[in-house]
Parts: sequence; structure tokens; C-alpha cells
Amino acid sequence: MSDERDFGPMDPGWDDPGYWSAFRTSVMERARFELARRREAARLTVPAVLFGWSRGLVPATLAAAAIAGFMVVSEGNSVSDPEPLALEEIVSEESQALGAVLDQDSDWAPTAFMALVEGDQR
Amino acid sequence: MKERTDAELVRRARDGDGEAFGVLVERYQRAAYSVAVAITGRHQDAEDVAQEAFIVALERLEDCRNPSRFAGWFLTTVRNRARNLIRRERLRAASQIPPSTPSDERGPAARSAQAELRERLRQALDGVSEVQREIVLLHDLEGWKHKEIADRLGIPSGTVRSHLHFARKALRAELSDWKDHEEAV
Repeated sequence: MSDERDFGPMDPGWDDPGYWSAFRTSVMERARFELARRREAARLTVPAVLFGWSRGLVPATLAAAAIAGFMVVSEGNSVSDPEPLALEEIVSEESQALGAVLDQDSDWAPTAFMALVEGDQR
Repeated sequence: MKERTDAELVRRARDGDGEAFGVLVERYQRAAYSVAVAITGRHQDAEDVAQEAFIVALERLEDCRNPSRFAGWFLTTVRNRARNLIRRERLRAASQIPPSTPSDERGPAARSAQAELRERLRQALDGVSEVQREIVLLHDLEGWKHKEIADRLGIPSGTVRSHLHFARKALRAELSDWKDHEEAV
């Protein structure tokens, strides 16, 4: 009688071939909740959370940018500010206006004005 | 197909991989039972302890700092739980009136020859130390090699051989009358 065969009856599977399979099934059944908890925890790792945020953040940013762009465009259309004038345009416009005033009234021509001044002195 | 290492299975089980955990259960269920029965000495207690130890180990997998040494870590869990059970039962027994009925529910009439032999072996194992029982069962029942036992229990290989030698010697002496009985039958 060998030493190794002596302990066969100590194995519960010795006279019940399905014993170890049932043992494993029982453990797996009891472990189901903890395994599910671990799967969920593994899904919520830091990179996964950041990736999840970025997935929400990118469309939100794009939408905000689109709304801002739309508002700028619509505001530009409703208020039509006059075109600003350059300095040369202002000067030339004023000189043209002055010339026109002087031409319109010959009594106020520069030569007539000077004759008046000299006559008073005499 | 290449056999997956304990380290790989532990890492996957940490992420909730049921298939990986199932492989670990299948790989160590007999060893867990052997260690538990070596301490409790009773089938039902050993089964409960072994199953419970798997669940506790799964819940505390992060405590297994070196997943390649899962077996040693896990069997320590089994051993501790079995010892706690014995301690609790001793305390309970001390505070209760001893039951008048025998612990074997099946009764003498229903006991088969196999069950009788099992009981005889259990009694013989009671005659050796706890660590010797554990080593004898892991070696002779589960088929673990000296080095495997040494690695997984964290004791020198020479100590394993020594324990095995003295345990077998004691068991042979204890079971010699059973062998005579078998021959007479």
C-alpha cells in the first residue's frame, strides 16, 4: 500500500466525481457580486474618467464657440456704424467746403475785403 | 495552450475577470481544502473555510503585493480562517453543554467502508502536528512537489522533507492496526 494512495478517501472528490465542479460553481456564485464591483471599478479608472470628460467637453466647447460666433455676426448686421474717415479725407472735405462758401458770395471775396480795409485807413 | 501564470490571473481577477478568477479557484481549491481539513479535521468545516477563503481573497486581492506568490498568500488566508474557526468553536464549546448526539449525522448504520476509512485516516492525522498534516495532505493528496510546498508555504525545502518523513512514520505506526484489519477482512 503506497503512502500516496492512503489519503485518497480524504479527498471529497474520491467518492463524488462532481464534488470539485460543484465546489467551484458555489465559489463563483458567491463571488459574482465582488467580480461585478471590480469590473465597474476598473471601468472608472483615471484615464477613462478623463476620456469621458473630454467626450462631453469637446462638443460643449464647439457649441459655445458656434453660439459666440453667431452672436458676433448677428450683432454686426443690426448696428451699422458709419465708416470712419481718414485724416486726409477730413482735411480735403473741409477745404472743399470753405472754397465753396467763398465762391458763393463774391462780396466776401478776399480782394474786396482788402479794398475795404485800405479805404478805411485812407 | 500555454498555462497562464498566477500573476497574470491575479491581475485580471483584480479587474473583475470572472474567467481568470475561476481558473485560480480550480487551481487551488484542492489545496485550500487540504490545508483547511488539516486544521479543522472535519469535512464540512474545511469546505466552508476553503470557500470562504476564496471570497475573502478576492475581496482583498490588492493586499497580495506579489501576485506571482499568490498561492502562499492565499493558503495563509485559508490557514488563518481555519484557526479562527477552531478558536471560535472552542470558545463556544466551553460556554455550552456538550451535545449528547455524535457529530456524524449519518449514524453508524449508514457509514460506508469508505467513510470508515476516511474517519480512520482523520484520526491518524490528528496524531501529527498541524504543519505536518498540511504538508502530508498537500504532497500525498494534492500531488504538490517538495519545492512547490516549500515555495508556497514559505518554508525551506529540507524542512518540508523532514516534516513529511516524520509524519509518514507516525501515520504508518498509527495505521498499522488498520492494515492488519484490512488483511484480516
